[in-house]
This record gives sequence, structure tokens and C-alpha cells, in this order.
Amino acid sequence: MNYFPDEVIEHVFDFVTSHKDRNAISLVCKSWYKIERYSRQKVFIGNCYAINPERLLRRFPCLKSLTLKGKPHFADFNLVPHEWGGFVLPWIEALARSRVGLEELRLKRMVVTDESLELLSRSFVNFKSLVLVSCEGFTTDGLASIAANCRHLRDLDLQENEIDDHRGQWLSCFPDTCTTLVTLNFACLEGETNLVALERLVARSPNLKSLKLNRAVPLDALARLMVCAPQIVDLGVGSYENDPDSESYMKLKAAIKKCTSLRSLSGFLEAAPHCLSAFHPICHNLTSLNLSYAAEIHGSHLIKLIQHCKKLQRLWILDSIGDKGLEVVASTCKDLQELRVFPSDLLGGGNTAVTEEGLVAISAGCPKLHSILYFCQQMTNAALVTVAKNCPNFIRFRLCILEPNKPDHVTSQPLDEGFGAIVKACKSLRRLSLSGLLTDQVFLYIGMYANQLEMLSIAFAGDTDKGMLYVLNGCKKMKKLEIRDSPFGDTALLADVSKYETMRSLWMSSCEVTLSGCKRLAQKAPWLNVEIINENDNNRMEENGHEGRQKVDKLYLYRTVVGTRMDAPPFVWIL
Amino acid sequence: MEVSNSCSSFSSSSVDSTKPSPSESSVNLSLSLTFPSTSPQREAKQDWPPIKSRLRDTLKGRRLIRRGNDTSLFVKVYMEGVPIGRKLDLCAFSGYESLLENLSHMFDTSIICGNRDRKHHVLTYEDKDGDWMMVGDIPWDMFLETVRRLKITRPERY
Repeated sequence: MNYFPDEVIEHVFDFVTSHKDRNAISLVCKSWYKIERYSRQKVFIGNCYAINPERLLRRFPCLKSLTLKGKPHFADFNLVPHEWGGFVLPWIEALARSRVGLEELRLKRMVVTDESLELLSRSFVNFKSLVLVSCEGFTTDGLASIAANCRHLRDLDLQENEIDDHRGQWLSCFPDTCTTLVTLNFACLEGETNLVALERLVARSPNLKSLKLNRAVPLDALARLMVCAPQIVDLGVGSYENDPDSESYMKLKAAIKKCTSLRSLSGFLEAAPHCLSAFHPICHNLTSLNLSYAAEIHGSHLIKLIQHCKKLQRLWILDSIGDKGLEVVASTCKDLQELRVFPSDLLGGGNTAVTEEGLVAISAGCPKLHSILYFCQQMTNAALVTVAKNCPNFIRFRLCILEPNKPDHVTSQPLDEGFGAIVKACKSLRRLSLSGLLTDQVFLYIGMYANQLEMLSIAFAGDTDKGMLYVLNGCKKMKKLEIRDSPFGDTALLADVSKYETMRSLWMSSCEVTLSGCKRLAQKAPWLNVEIINENDNNRMEENGHEGRQKVDKLYLYRTVVGTRMDAPPFVWIL
Repeated sequence: MEVSNSCSSFSSSSVDSTKPSPSESSVNLSLSLTFPSTSPQREAKQDWPPIKSRLRDTLKGRRLIRRGNDTSLFVKVYMEGVPIGRKLDLCAFSGYESLLENLSHMFDTSIICGNRDRKHHVLTYEDKDGDWMMVGDIPWDMFLETVRRLKITRPERY
């Protein structure tokens, strides 16, 4: 390869797009490192504190697309205080100063402000794509800047963010000359929407493929929008309540029939279930269906809808579907690859909506299943063993039994053997979440068999430090380990400090690690940021004479090449 | 701060005279930390089961809207016999009295809660379990937690 001129090598590199592969290429030799650097357009940064924007830009000056992730995963479940960090402004400022030709920015779990959005919108002439997932800190005013200033905006995709809705006119800030939109997702906005501005925007966006509306868009507006955009591929329905005899509903039915490109359906944030039949004509084309927010759709209406969706590859649903409903899915959706079943009843009032039977039925009926997230009331080892036999191709397996520490409900045994069967059979398993009654044994199995495991989530599991050690010693590809409410302590934490160099991060909350253990770790590994998050006892850790032995509430450590971060709030103590 | 935290009388951050005595509360807290189930402390903490806040809010069946520092809780109100309902922001009221006053004005009739009365309309609500209950029995902030919709019943029914 070194006999070819650089341009040829670069051209070859153009065909290599995955981050892993490009990282590997850059390690081959100096010459390849250099060529790869200058030709890299897309960069993925899994932890925004592992590196800083200046070093990023020094290495990749031709950057066009940046993905940044901020807070640790458990922030999704209120375990990380809002002010912890993950601010995007310094990144945008640095990118703006460097005049790099940024076109795409994807952020997850970061704090975004109106100021950063404004700066973003003004600094990059060719900016095309903004994707914000689980972010917070901004308002619709920030969206207005993006709309107004990004002349070539293609994607504005807001997924599950906390946005302060000022009920402003951000939609009308898109200039009349803006006709390039491909994706418009504002489903997470809670306030009212300017329907006229929305309809005009959709009407002048012939390339619009993905449109996800918020709950303030009623059914009659939906009908008009679909008439304007029959080319739609991905639709998020807002509020779906209406009288089935009304004129709007008739118009909607007619419009839907024309949407022959529709492949993905979501939303139904408020729904009149008997109006779902309007979608039956296009259901046979659907590959993705997300009804996880449609609390009002269940029973026979839901089943009828699913029976029409024979080509479904991805299904996100609430557990009100029941085991019987899952059996219908298993017999109808033979192409199913990804299933998520969310809890619909948070009180745990003994409502056995879905059980191990539903999971077994799905595993038996859907041979292509590779990703599952399943919330349920009960599970058995036997069921998990069967599932492992039926589906050895799992890449992601996340099981959440709602009651912590719940054993096999038939044998009263821990679920070690069941999960053991899963990790043994599923050789490609990359992500695993455990629940139920679990001893150190399950971790022995994981360490032994889960060779490809990159992310492991543990809650209320294990007996001793041995459990955590099995995982740290066995799972060579571990990247993210997150543990809560489990009896792992300093011995496990400190056993092999070099392990953390190969991992992105470790989270431990309500475990047995002590302050002195964390201090020792920080001393041994200066290339780690060891953060102690202590919201309730500000400074009590220092004052207490027995501070060393005091247990740490929340520990978050991650490798970094740029040392301690300067933006940590007072309740975060970086050792 | 989400509405449920501020409404819950067991929230650890509130100073409340109805809080249990120190020894009781420490026992309660330690129990809930080892076995989170549906104990009030755990509900106030909202970190189990591991689902996103947006889904959690949706499942509580509330139309919770956050605008700046205000929250709104819109519920549907129907008068028995009248097909078209109204929508009401319960957070705009300080308690049952102002709610009743407003409803009576909105529906142009006298509405009471609590005792049966052959002459007046009685206000009922659907709670998060799907049961229809008489309005007024529980503290206002608990009511806000559990109410899904309101129905004004006809006098003869009682």
C-alpha cells in the first residue's frame, strides 16, 4: 500500500466509514495516521471529558461531523444531578474559533443552552444537521436561531429532550427560502405549535422524509400535513383524538392511503384507539412501530394494528400488550429484530401484564431477534434457558424485573443459571442488563463467556467483591460498566487499575466503595478522573473524622487525556 | 423540580410538620434504600424502575406541561349527559374550594363535592387505578398526584 500515492490511499480510506475501523487504520503506521487524520470527516467522542476540542481539532482539522456524549447513562434515571456537567458551549466556541466546516452535530445527554445554539447557527455556513438526544438547558428561542440562521438545514431532530417551551414562533423563523428539510422532529416539545407555520414549512419541503409532531398538533392538522407530504417515510403522530365520523378523520384516511413510502410510525401521545384503523392500509409496509408513549392504545385495537404489520423489524410497546399480545407479535412479525417492552404500571400493583411466557413466545416466533429490552414482573431460569436456545444471536439483552432481588418465581432460586445460559449461547452479546435475585455466580458466567460484552448494567445484584472481579478480569472488551445498589467495594475497585485504561467509564452508586479506596485509586491512576458525587452531604466527607471509611454515594470514573475538568459543580469532588 | 416531588409529603427536601419523627424516618429511609418498591421515599426519588422521565410522566397519566418555572396539569372535565368536555389546568387552583368555584362557573350550575345531595351536581374523579371516586376525600396535593379526569354527575344519580 505504501507504493501508492497518498491520494490513492486516501480514496481507499473513503470506503472505510466505521469509527472503529478508521481508528484501527490510524494505528498502522505514521503515514497512514497522517493520511487518515486529514481525511477524517466524522468523529465520535463517547465521553466529552475524555478529550478537549483543541486537541480534537489539531488532529482532525477537516472535521465535518461531530458526535458528543456527556452525562453517564444512569443520568437518564435521575441518578446524576442536573448541574453535573456535559456543557456543549466550550466545544461550539472552539469549533467556531477554528473555522472548521462543521456540518453535523449530534449530542447525547449534554447541557445545551440557547447561547450555544445561537453561536452554532451563526458560525457554520454549511451546517446541515442537528440531532439532540436527552439533552437539556435550552428553550424554543434556541431553536428559533437554528431555524432562522441555518440556510441549508437538513435535519432538526429533537429526541426526548427537556426543552423550555416559550410558546414562541420558532417554526415561523424558518425563512420562506428554506426548502431543504429532510428531518423535523419536535415530538418532545410540550407547548403549543403554530400550525399554520408548520403546514407552510412542510408544504415547501419536498425532501421531507421524517416528521415527528408534538402533542399540540391535532388530528385535523395531521390530515392536512399528510396531504402535503405523501413522500413521508417516518411519521410521529401528535395528538390522535377525534371523532371517527368527522370530516377530518375521513380526510386523514384518504391521505394516509397515499403515503406509500411510510415505513416508521410513532407518537400517538393522546389517542382515540378506534381511529387507529385509518393506518391499517399502510401497516404492511411498516418496519418500525413505536407505541411506547401511547398509553391509551391497548387491547383489541392494538392487536388488530399489529396483525397488519407483517414486516415489522422494530417494535417498541408498553407491557399492557400482555403475554397474549406478544404471542400475536410472535406469530405475525417474523422479521422482528428489535423489541422493547416498557412498564405501563409503575405502582407494581401485582399487575402481571407480561411475564416470562411473553418473552419465550417472542424468542420462539422471531428468529431474527437480536435486541431486546424487556420490563416484566417475573422471570424463571427455565424461560431464560429456552430463550437462549431459541435466540443465540442476541447483541443486546436487557431484562428488567420490576421488583429488585426477585428470584425465579417458580423455584425461588436466583436467576444466575438463566442469565448464564444467555451469555453462554449468545456469543455476539455486546450489551447486557441484569435484574432479579443474582449471586456472584452470574458474574462468574459473565466473566467466562461474555467475550464480546462492551456494556454491562448491574442493579441490586451480587454478594461479594468476587462478583465484580469476575467481570473485570473476564470481559476483555468491556467499555462501560454501571453498577448500582450492589455490595462491591474497594477490593474489587482497586484490584486491577490498568483495566480502566481499556474502558470508557465505570459508575458505582450505593455500593460499598469508600472514600479512601477512591483516593487510592486516583493516586494509582493519574490518567483517570475519579469523581465523587455527593449531593446531600456537601463537605461532610471532609469534616468527618472517619472520612476514609465513609462510603461513597456515587462514583464515576473515566479515562481522559486532558486531566481534571474545570467545570465541575461544588458537589462533585474530583480526586 | 417535577410536580410529584413538590407534592409528595415524604420528599426529603421539604420541611414538613407531618414528617415522621427522626427515629421513624431513619428506619423508613434505610428500608427503602435496601428494598425500593413503592415506598413513598423511593417514589419521590424516581430512579427505579430505570425508565426515562418523559415516559414516567406519561405513565402517571398526567398531561404535565412545564413552562419555565410553572407547571400545568390539564385534565378533561365532563358533565354527565354533555358529550363535549372541557379541559382544565388543575395547577391553577389552590385547592378544592377554588376548583369547585371555577367549575360551577364554567358549567353554570352549582357543584359540590363530598356529601351526596339530591339537588346539586356532585364532582367525581377517575384516579390512576381507573376507579371513580368522590372528590374531596384526600389532601389536595395527593389529589393532584392521582387524578386523571373529572366528571360532574347528575343529581338524580345519588
